[in-house]
Amino acid sequence: MKHYLGTTAIAAVLAASMPFAALADDEYVIGVAVANSGGLAPFSQPSFDGFSYCVDQKNAEGGIAGQYPIRLEVRDTRSDIAEAVKFAQEFVDLSVNFIVAPPDGDPTMAMGQITSPAQIPTMTFAGTAPILTSAGDYVFGSYPADNQQAAVLGAYAAELGYKSTWILTSPDAAYTQFGPRYFAAAFEANGGTLLGEGSFSMGQPDFSAIVTTIQNLDPQPDVIMTSAWEPDFPAFIRALRGAGVDIPVMGADVLDTPTVRGLGDVVEGIVHTSGGYAADGSDHAEFNAAFEAATGTVADTNYVVNGCDILGMIDAAVQAAGSTDSAEVGVALANLSETPGIMSSFTFEGTNRMPMREVVLARIEGGEKVFIRRQLADPETMPAP
Amino acid sequence: MELFVQQTINALSLGGIYALLALGLAVVFSIVRLINFAHGEVMTVTGYGIWFILLSGFPVGLAIAFGVVAAIAASMSMERVAFRQMRGADVTTLLITSFAVSQIIQVLFQTGISARPVAVILPDWLTDSIMIGSVRVGMVSVLSIAVVIISLIALRLVLTHSVTGIAMRAAAEDFAVVRLMGISANRIIATAFAISGALAGIAAVLWVATRGSVDPLMGAIPVLKAFIATVVGGLGSLGGAVIGGFVLGIVEVYLQAFLPETLLPYRDAIALSIIVGILVLRPDGLLPGVSTNRS
Repeated sequence: MKHYLGTTAIAAVLAASMPFAALADDEYVIGVAVANSGGLAPFSQPSFDGFSYCVDQKNAEGGIAGQYPIRLEVRDTRSDIAEAVKFAQEFVDLSVNFIVAPPDGDPTMAMGQITSPAQIPTMTFAGTAPILTSAGDYVFGSYPADNQQAAVLGAYAAELGYKSTWILTSPDAAYTQFGPRYFAAAFEANGGTLLGEGSFSMGQPDFSAIVTTIQNLDPQPDVIMTSAWEPDFPAFIRALRGAGVDIPVMGADVLDTPTVRGLGDVVEGIVHTSGGYAADGSDHAEFNAAFEAATGTVADTNYVVNGCDILGMIDAAVQAAGSTDSAEVGVALANLSETPGIMSSFTFEGTNRMPMREVVLARIEGGEKVFIRRQLADPETMPAP
Repeated sequence: MELFVQQTINALSLGGIYALLALGLAVVFSIVRLINFAHGEVMTVTGYGIWFILLSGFPVGLAIAFGVVAAIAASMSMERVAFRQMRGADVTTLLITSFAVSQIIQVLFQTGISARPVAVILPDWLTDSIMIGSVRVGMVSVLSIAVVIISLIALRLVLTHSVTGIAMRAAAEDFAVVRLMGISANRIIATAFAISGALAGIAAVLWVATRGSVDPLMGAIPVLKAFIATVVGGLGSLGGAVIGGFVLGIVEVYLQAFLPETLLPYRDAIALSIIVGILVLRPDGLLPGVSTNRS
């Protein structure tokens, strides 16, 4: 009997450790859908650069969880959603362990509808629309969502004493359409008033008509908010300031670029949100320095460090799951809480898989990004997706 | 009334840029029956040319001149490298060739320079505004209208008073006869591309001054607008291209300015519906060319 129990115990231990042990020598395969060209390339390229840099670092340490060498299956979507969908199916067929989707809500949701039923966790590189996780239970965000950014910015606008706002939206993307509306909702929750809303088309050649409309608003708003990005924001702000309108302007994290800061006097004093700030001596600053030393490329956007943080999220999830099984990793990822990251820590637990992360507020002064503060969004005033 | 006047100035400014672009497309189309969808990339070349020269520390005047020269060179190079080999091919083949050229140039800029936009710092006075009566107008708008008028007058002088210009107009009417009269086809076509490039270069300067940045996909929207303007004006008609440009600019700006807030998101759809309505009434455009040849 004793012999039988001993044998059974050994067998049970072996059996329990089999999945882990069997995979111990396996690779951890990550399907990565990048956009090397097209409209998403400006966000995808730096995200992938940061991600692949950290994959190399991680592999030098033994791989994911220190024991599973990472192999990337990289596909170029050329910013085409149809291509992204095709690669999603290919990744499912390859039974990859994890998928990283392009840095936008639309392709991420399109891919998620295929990958989520296969229980393969799929994380966007930098999509921030909080609705993107509605594509499936295994779809994840990685960056502070639009409604988190809006909650922090809206509260700050009220704190500055602004009483009224006018927002500029575009129906061409969830980011440009809903970001300003989230801001307006948060601003109103803090006592502000929304005076009205203008609309532009992405790639619109001229903003003079919109600026004339703003000039003729009565009463004039205390602050204008938009989630327009390049090249629309530079066109808008130049037209606005060129027409002599000096109403303060606030924007979203897409304004955190050297191009916007390089626009000169027209962007002086603009306040925007950001995913992070590389303060001297911070992990973020050390990462940027190491990345530049290794690659020769300046990490002048947060998408680089966020690319690395994505790998950190995967690593933390695999460790928490104690397994590389994609379904188990997905569940573990969704339950991570206050896990350290380089840009900021992240919490997925209770967030519908859009991580709660600190939002940075910054002001452009003299062509530089000046830190104001960093904080988590207040759940009380954070607009619902 | 002031609002209407101000928006009309905005419309003329935008329409003028569209007119320049449409004219650039029409000049080439009228002779070789090619809608050059790489015309937008000629603008992009200008933008990066200006950016590069400014970055090198040279004055803005030199940067603008370099940008326009770069546009002419780029346009002529496209003709020499890509389109000359396709001469005589049908309209569809030429169209696809121009798409290929466009894509190649976009990807070269994205991978060779950066996928992200770069800021182009132009002098402060360009972002100022001036008062015309009781109406405040941006300097870029004023310059746009002035430059467009000067460019159109200059083009008209070239086309009516120079031998090459007259030959080009003749070629637009009947290319075969012009060649039978001993005029070099290569020279006429190269000149058409040079003029087209110059117009794209000038439009790009105004575009960059308005937008303040350059990116690899910068030319995609303008060439689409120019194509619409060319079709509305009448394919193959230089005057029609100008009219089409102004019509498109006026429609877009007036809709942006005067649509109710709830309808603003549908502005592009309404604008295109108006354009379709115009084409239903005048299928060959507002000022049809003498011998249009649609694909």
